[in-house]
Amino acid sequence: MSISALLTQYGDRYLQALFATWRLTAFSFFGAVVIGIVITVLRVCPISPLRVFGNFYVQVFRNIPGAALLILLVYALPYLNIVFPYEICVLIATVLIPSAFCSEHLMSGMNTIHPGQIEAARALGMTFFQIIRRIVIPQALRSSVLPMTNLMVATMLTTSLGSQVPLRPQELTGIVSYINTRSAGGVTAFAISAALYCLTALFIGALGGWIDRKVRILR
Amino acid sequence: MKKILSVIAALALLLFSISALAEAPAATAIDKAAFDALIASGPVAEDETVAASTWASAVREAGILRVGGTRTSFLFSQLDETDNGIRGFDAGLYELLTRYILGDETKYELTQVNSSTRESVLTSGQVDAVFATYSITPSRQEVISFAGPYYTSQQAILVKAGNQEITGVDSLADKIVATQAGSTGPSILAEFAPDAIAQEFEDDLQARTAVEQGRADAYVTDYTLILNSIVKNPGAYAVAGDVFGPLDPYGIGLPKDSDGVAFVNAFLNRLIEDGTWAKLWKISLGERTGIETVPQAPTVGE
Amino acid sequence: MNRPEIQDVLYEAPGPKTRRRIRLFTILALLLLAGLLAAIVRQFAVTGQFQPKYWFFFARLTTWRFLGEGLVTTLGAALVGSALAFGMGFLLMRGKIRGNPVLRWLCTALIEFTRGVPTLLFIYFFFLIVPGTGWKLSAFWKITLPCAISACGVVAEALRSGVNAVPKGQREAALSLGYRETKLFYRIIFPQAIRFVIPSLIAELVIVLKDTTFASIVSCADLMQNAKVLISNYDALLSIYLVVAVIYILINYMLNRLSDRVARLLKGGGSAERRAA
Repeated sequence: MSISALLTQYGDRYLQALFATWRLTAFSFFGAVVIGIVITVLRVCPISPLRVFGNFYVQVFRNIPGAALLILLVYALPYLNIVFPYEICVLIATVLIPSAFCSEHLMSGMNTIHPGQIEAARALGMTFFQIIRRIVIPQALRSSVLPMTNLMVATMLTTSLGSQVPLRPQELTGIVSYINTRSAGGVTAFAISAALYCLTALFIGALGGWIDRKVRILR
Repeated sequence: MKKILSVIAALALLLFSISALAEAPAATAIDKAAFDALIASGPVAEDETVAASTWASAVREAGILRVGGTRTSFLFSQLDETDNGIRGFDAGLYELLTRYILGDETKYELTQVNSSTRESVLTSGQVDAVFATYSITPSRQEVISFAGPYYTSQQAILVKAGNQEITGVDSLADKIVATQAGSTGPSILAEFAPDAIAQEFEDDLQARTAVEQGRADAYVTDYTLILNSIVKNPGAYAVAGDVFGPLDPYGIGLPKDSDGVAFVNAFLNRLIEDGTWAKLWKISLGERTGIETVPQAPTVGE
Repeated sequence: MNRPEIQDVLYEAPGPKTRRRIRLFTILALLLLAGLLAAIVRQFAVTGQFQPKYWFFFARLTTWRFLGEGLVTTLGAALVGSALAFGMGFLLMRGKIRGNPVLRWLCTALIEFTRGVPTLLFIYFFFLIVPGTGWKLSAFWKITLPCAISACGVVAEALRSGVNAVPKGQREAALSLGYRETKLFYRIIFPQAIRFVIPSLIAELVIVLKDTTFASIVSCADLMQNAKVLISNYDALLSIYLVVAVIYILINYMLNRLSDRVARLLKGGGSAERRAA
């Protein structure tokens, strides 16, 4: 099938799929960063059960394969009388997994902060949460822009999990399998999706590089 | 590392203690002894019969029958991990065919296929034959050839027990209906219930789980599969209305224009004549779905 | 690294008042977590998921042997896939660093391509397109190859950063001793570079291992696929997938631990110069 024939027949679907991938990526990334920050705070807080919980959370979601997590969410949870729509299941999976990696990036970002700063903040009488909010998190975020950029690309790649359940509209991976089981889309159908993924990744990378140059802390 | 190992040990202990409480439940398991005995008593082809077919000669030459099939079709081809036997109606037929050509029913090699890969394993020469609840359709016949049919099925509607709304194929409009991707289900649904909202699933378990969990209102598939689901999970499902749609003949997929078609058809006719087909039907399907009467075998070669 | 870890300086040794508060919050947190756990257990109980019919087969040796066979396939695919990814990544890295402008551009494009496209898309390619080309591949290769392709770009970049981390002076010193480029690379640069990147290569193994969980798409009998056979036999979806997920998590966790340990070992054992780098 030629590229123009494919686009005439499935152009709309591709556009919808691209937006679906973007939407999933954006929501998941946002959710992952928020949860990642919360988990990171738990991991450094003085209350040991919460530290243990935070570390446990990170180990579980860092190490579980996306396919296994999605299957548990979609097919196993309903046996516990917990039924989420497919979109939500995918979203949960694509939030939980990147959030663990986000927390790992933040932890190493935090370690670039000089302890002297914390000591200074304490000397000024700041509480733990003030230190976290005003000193640690902003710097950890600023010095982890590049890992975060990679995390966003990784999140985009993770959203391809959406092809494993009946999503409506489909995302960029699901649409390729959809087209190829109906008409012989062949290599072209793949090339279009691959190109759209790559362009998105390049765009995220460029954006991340630009932000990094703006906010990087020179030490 | 020690900590991890102790966690594993604790988990294992927990599992074992829960597990030890129970024995295997009386499921709708296949009668293994009867099945194995039936296969072991299957016919073996005369040398000249094999020699007359290039397809069968090639298999005998190789010393192994390469089969495309599944391991997770509970009624037709299910792997039992406790003894590594694959049993079911399809499995019985390819094991009998293996015995017929090679004199030893264990000399087959199973390549797993699913609804979307059945043609490609044949066209690329990865397998000699495909046994996988494989409906004979004109579009498939363009790329491969079929022997058989050896079984005829029809579609039916599975719903959650207690569902009063769906009473048959006419009441499927605007309902979410699950089907198996790559099977004949989606196209039959589109023809007989065009207003239903179709949802495709990878396999039978996922599709009927969707019905059980309320994600889909109904599941349209092969009647035998539905019967089996009902027997396996008493009280969970019901059949809505009658069987419908065209008669769905199952065939054995063979390479396009292979002379294996005539050979396998002769083999099927022999099984039907000597009663093996009926016995296999009874062991694999009848006894496990509660159907008493063995149906008339389809006319092979039509 | 004599600097204390950040978590250790966030708060000073607590006084008696703070200690009481911490103790209070610790108890509250414990109660909260216990409540969470209890809720999960209760949900299992009320939905009947503790019923022996969902668990009895885990007491059978055959069940574990069967899962073990799947695990061997999974690990095999992950190891072979990683080895292939390493080979391809190495070539891409060499091409990007050394080759002529065309080759360099091509390698950069390939690296960006494999890093920007999800593994699943590669798997679907091998599942839907490759059989039509007449290229006969067993199910094992249909999962291993796409996983390797998807990982090779990341490996190439990891190797490149390792090569870049080798101090420039070494290269200059070797050149002044009359080393040729090839010998210089294989004898001086690469052995050091590989030491920097071993941890990230092990981490890559984890990623490949996770990607192989899609093997059931191409009908390869990996751990996940064998789990499906068990589920079909026993109609026990939740318990089996749960156990399989725990197996995956434990294996990946141990691999990550190994990677951390190797990283620490290499850091500690390096020369002063390497540490400065």
